[in-house]
Amino acid sequence: MTLLTLLAIVVTEGCSIAGQIFFKLAMGHHWEASRARAMRLLAAGVAAMAVGFFLWLGLLGSFDLSFLYPFEGLSRLVLLGAAAFFLQEKITPSLWIGVLLISAGVALVAAS
Amino acid sequence: MSAARCNPLLTNSYSQIVLSIVFSAASQVLLKRGASDHVSEMWLGVNGLQSGWVWLGIAAMIASLFSWLHALRSIPLSLAFTLAGASHVLVPLGSWLWLGEAIPGRRWLGILLVTAGVLVSAKPATAVEKKL
Repeated sequence: MTLLTLLAIVVTEGCSIAGQIFFKLAMGHHWEASRARAMRLLAAGVAAMAVGFFLWLGLLGSFDLSFLYPFEGLSRLVLLGAAAFFLQEKITPSLWIGVLLISAGVALVAAS
Repeated sequence: MSAARCNPLLTNSYSQIVLSIVFSAASQVLLKRGASDHVSEMWLGVNGLQSGWVWLGIAAMIASLFSWLHALRSIPLSLAFTLAGASHVLVPLGSWLWLGEAIPGRRWLGILLVTAGVLVSAKPATAVEKKL
């Protein structure tokens, strides 16, 4: 795996995390409070996801899906941190345990 | 959690998450099928758009997005996204069944761990559902 591949994977995952935060912001209280604001947030989420999507498609062209997909799992820990920081979501202990199990499983899949 | 407990559409929101996960896993398998045919040396996968499989994959992805957004109205992102970890079980299974990719023993163990993680995260959610 080259440095460029790794960079492409990091940027792809960063785009999808940003997109999820935008989506939750839009569908949360903004959806009821200001529909126009919610739509702008949704558009920002779709834009971030679209950039990530084409990078992902490019990566899929060169690597096996079952090898490539597990990297998505590592971004789960980052997403939980981002949800706590940007959305003030409370992360329960069982959720941390669940995510750690998922990330461990994903790392094992990536290593095999 | 408290937002989810107050919501009478709780069951509906969780079924939306399940739908979203299934569509998303299907889209990955379809995209891989299309990308293998049409994207080779290029770094960006834009020419994958010539493939019908890729367009089917895009349709599944859009369906997944709508169920996902519906679910996010009442479920915290951290919980929803962790439950969506189930795609790490469905995607390898899909690539094994339909793409003929091999899954070595250690990878099966990883898939098992992911399953356990999803179940652990889902437990508080089902406990809330039982109370309703």
